[in-house]
Amino acid sequence: MAHLTDGTLRRMVDDPDARAGADEAHLDGCTECKTRFARISDDARSIATLLAVADARVDVSRAFDQVSHAPRSQPALVRLPVFRSPVRPIRLALVAAVIVAALSLVAFASAGLFFKPSTVVAVPVTVADMQALSQLADYGTVTWTQQPNLQVATSAADASAAAGGITTPVAHNVPSGISTTITYGAMSQAVATFTFSADKAQAAAAAAGKTLPALPAGMDGATLTVTVGPAVGEVYGDMNQQTSSANEINLPQLVIAKSAAPTVKSTQVSAQTLENYILSLPGISPDLANAVRAVKDPSTTLLIPVPVQYASATQVDINGQSGVQLGDNTGLGGGVVWVGKDGYVYVVAGSIKKDDAVSIAKTL
Amino acid sequence: MNLEAHRMSAARSEDQAFETLFTSEYARVVGIANRVLADQHEAEDVAQEVFVDFHRLHSATAQYAPAWLHRAAAHASLNRLRGARRRQKREVAQAMEEGDRTMDPQMHLEVSEDRRLVRAALGRLAPRPAAALAMRASGLSYAEVAQALGVGIGQVGTLLRRAEAALRKEVTRGTSD
Repeated sequence: MAHLTDGTLRRMVDDPDARAGADEAHLDGCTECKTRFARISDDARSIATLLAVADARVDVSRAFDQVSHAPRSQPALVRLPVFRSPVRPIRLALVAAVIVAALSLVAFASAGLFFKPSTVVAVPVTVADMQALSQLADYGTVTWTQQPNLQVATSAADASAAAGGITTPVAHNVPSGISTTITYGAMSQAVATFTFSADKAQAAAAAAGKTLPALPAGMDGATLTVTVGPAVGEVYGDMNQQTSSANEINLPQLVIAKSAAPTVKSTQVSAQTLENYILSLPGISPDLANAVRAVKDPSTTLLIPVPVQYASATQVDINGQSGVQLGDNTGLGGGVVWVGKDGYVYVVAGSIKKDDAVSIAKTL
Repeated sequence: MNLEAHRMSAARSEDQAFETLFTSEYARVVGIANRVLADQHEAEDVAQEVFVDFHRLHSATAQYAPAWLHRAAAHASLNRLRGARRRQKREVAQAMEEGDRTMDPQMHLEVSEDRRLVRAALGRLAPRPAAALAMRASGLSYAEVAQALGVGIGQVGTLLRRAEAALRKEVTRGTSD
């Protein structure tokens, strides 16, 4: 039998499950492995001593109180019904689509009465911005003219069929180490209409104890109709595995999504009026306002919100199309969003390096 | 049930699920960050950020929730460790705290220097081995570490060994200079 690897020996130091069978027998009879085992356990012990800290004594309910106030102030816009779907892989694949829908509001604001993006631009968004934008959701009512229908499919072809014939993208350059288990999903086209209401806006402002700018004339009863999808997505990673088994990852390692570009139509209010109004909401940072005003061709530019505290974004070229490359600061993942030459919005994201995401993007 | 009522009830049960997740995982998430930062206050800061991040985009009923939280806690606290200003502050605090303990002064000096070196080195390690070490040292099982990092359980030993060997080298080099 070959000698035991360092990793195996390290595990034998403090994992009772590893001290069994052939490995244990080998260690008993092998002087060389015994010497290495002694060195490895010495290192493990001394590092454990050096990393020792006093146990943290936590007050869980107090901590929960602190935290439960934070997320509730997060954007209501991302709490759309699709997020509550029990179909988790699809939900993940659709994060981008929903963000697109939410941000279309902002994009629309600077556009004409009809918005259809052909390019993307990153804009910096702070938590305060998100809170301010989320107030907009309380200024009226949302009705779904067409509810999003989410489906898990067993093959790319099925997903494509369920999404009205959008071809499922085929990825190349997928880094080794990414699971080869792929779950496909499809979302039908969804249409939602938001109707502004002067009464609701006043009530929302009063409830928040804030003085908000008055609604521009014509805004009461004005509607915004947002169409998203259809979309297809593929999620790499075995999503259905039991958590008790640790031999495989069940976090999504990579998500690739392709969606028909979202469109927004409105009635009653002019685009310029709406833009000025949104950018005047308390809490909107000058950086965001400037970034939105700087967009050259608003009717064809999709704004990608990038939370400044959590992620950084750079413009990147995907086969001649301008895209936004995202990376978070936690080292947990990266991604890229762009509008392809075919007019579809594409997203590649996951627990991969930003550069890997771009490299996959270029093959789609 | 109309759509709005349905949405409200879904949001309520999601909030309950989040509270259950928080209650069962908060101490462990703090434990991971505390192992890296050696500062409970800052560890709780990191843990709360991690939960807020999670709650914003994920469902609390997701099977992967604990693994996600553990990994995020390790990465976020290691990222903080890499912040230079914070490092200086922590070293001063740590030195003061250790000064309180009764120990042979010479030995105290050596251990404290080793601890400083090992934490500084932890911040310079590759993210995966460093995260594996932080999670394991905070008491997560091999299976939990594997789950959090998305690797096979056999690979955890390799990551731990790599981290410990690198840290050991730093400490040895530091003390022999």
